[in-house]
Amino acid sequence: MTLPRSGRHDGEPPARPRRLPPARPARARLTPVDAALFGLVALALAYAAYRVNDVLAYRWNWGQAFNFVIRYDAATGSWVPNLLLQGAAMTLRLALWGTVLATLIGVVMGLARTSTNLTLQLLSRAYVELIRNIPPVVFIFIFYFFISSQLFPAIGVDRLRPDSPILANPVALVLFGPPNLFANFLSGVVCLAIFEAAYVTEIVRSGIQSVEKGQWEAARAIGLSHTRVIADVVLPQALRRILPPLGGQFISLVKDSAMVSLISVQELTFLSNEVASTTRRTFETWIIAATFYFAMCLVFSLLFDHLERRARLVPR
Amino acid sequence: MVRSITRWLSAIVFVLGAAAAAAAQDGLIDTIKKRGTLVVGNATFVPWAMRSKSGELIGFEIDVAKKVAEDLGVKVDFQPTAWSGIIPALLAGKFDVIIGGMSITPERAQTVDFTIPYSTSGQAIVANKALAGSFKRLEDFDAANVNITCRRGTLSCQTVQNRFPKAQMRAFEDDAQATQELLNGNAHAFISSAPRPRFVALDNPDKAFMPTDEFLVLQQEGFAMRKGDPKAAEFFNAWIKSNTENGWLKARHDFWFTNRSWAEQVTN
Repeated sequence: MTLPRSGRHDGEPPARPRRLPPARPARARLTPVDAALFGLVALALAYAAYRVNDVLAYRWNWGQAFNFVIRYDAATGSWVPNLLLQGAAMTLRLALWGTVLATLIGVVMGLARTSTNLTLQLLSRAYVELIRNIPPVVFIFIFYFFISSQLFPAIGVDRLRPDSPILANPVALVLFGPPNLFANFLSGVVCLAIFEAAYVTEIVRSGIQSVEKGQWEAARAIGLSHTRVIADVVLPQALRRILPPLGGQFISLVKDSAMVSLISVQELTFLSNEVASTTRRTFETWIIAATFYFAMCLVFSLLFDHLERRARLVPR
Repeated sequence: MVRSITRWLSAIVFVLGAAAAAAAQDGLIDTIKKRGTLVVGNATFVPWAMRSKSGELIGFEIDVAKKVAEDLGVKVDFQPTAWSGIIPALLAGKFDVIIGGMSITPERAQTVDFTIPYSTSGQAIVANKALAGSFKRLEDFDAANVNITCRRGTLSCQTVQNRFPKAQMRAFEDDAQATQELLNGNAHAFISSAPRPRFVALDNPDKAFMPTDEFLVLQQEGFAMRKGDPKAAEFFNAWIKSNTENGWLKARHDFWFTNRSWAEQVTN
């Protein structure tokens, strides 16, 4: 029901000229009812806090948990990141490489999905259906224990020594983390990317298919090759349309990265588990971990808001 | 198109086969020496392996693995691993050996090779004072309305099922959650490898107590390796034997298990 209100009852077309954007809705104002609702929510939160304090047998000790975020190193006299911050950095690396790889796979598979070649269509369709119909945790286990442990030795990843110059340099340390965990990190990234790329594929497909047939025909008519039609005419339009769902998918990717803790990638969730087990500061540790995830995802969604707004400003 | 795909596939299969054949030729100890690193799988279990204030791994296992590597003349590389996936990870070749307080059981021995035991411990029980304070005997825990927590995939869960078959077993991914459930008053008891239950009781004297100081089950821990490498087993067994005889293993075990003089390394 997207018809404007004026046209609904009398069956007449809307009076407004079609080219103009819809009028801005009236600015929402807070009413007493809203204030009452806010009050109720606050009450519920206060009650939850009271329950946690009073009923739960738990002695809070934030100092010990914060020490695992950042600690003072007496030997060098400086503050150094501890396990939780290292884990957050690993999660960021997973998010970065996962996004890059998932975009690559997703665009290629999305193009294959919309191609006229039947083999390519079947392959990408099979890929998407396979991933979408297996629970992520099951996929991660199968991938890790059967595929990556067969594939990585074959391409020589496990022969990369931790002290090899490819891994043991400052740039690689920032981009890939500790060299001795590189193979493990790579499994995590590839696993996450293959999983998320199935959804990116579908988003890309819908974007490409949403570009009107006339655009294809017009581009072909002025003599552009098939590749140029896709690269210069279809993809730019499709990309603008799929930015919002793509942003949502990448935020999912950050959150889903917690799953690779199951295969012992040393990211935020895995290290939080380690810290919680060691210190028994369960709640503090997980609240800190949740704050990290929240901050990362919020930054991601603000970034995509910004990109969307910019994409809207670019003239078509 | 089809022909090039076939060519690619056969190339991949060939490379996979060659890699597998190369790996099978050398024994484990040769591989470790050639690499210059002993890759050890372990999981956090206080005080077997845990994190110091500065985030370093410390604990009984860590001492043991470091000494094994030192005696082999190689460096040690720890791969902290989720406990429930540690055996599959070993089988998949993610590390050379599990030195992680793994109890020797017939079930596990079907998939991995164990060394001779290098330590002896047991399953202990800690209970919630409010819920189980009135229980007179251990048998009182064997009732349908009793909840007992344990860490998933451990001998502790088997102990719950064997000793308290009528009780409701609730398995958690790690000890911290299983302990919290006990302290929250949602479970009557928590069963885990010693000395954890005792530490829980000591830390929460108003909430938790130990119904018995005796172990419910005695158990022995060994290193775990992939099957079919008698030479590696021979080396590890000889190492354990000599370090049992010279008292090194007992000294380290006593340091980590009898009291908590190491606690200041972990807490502020």
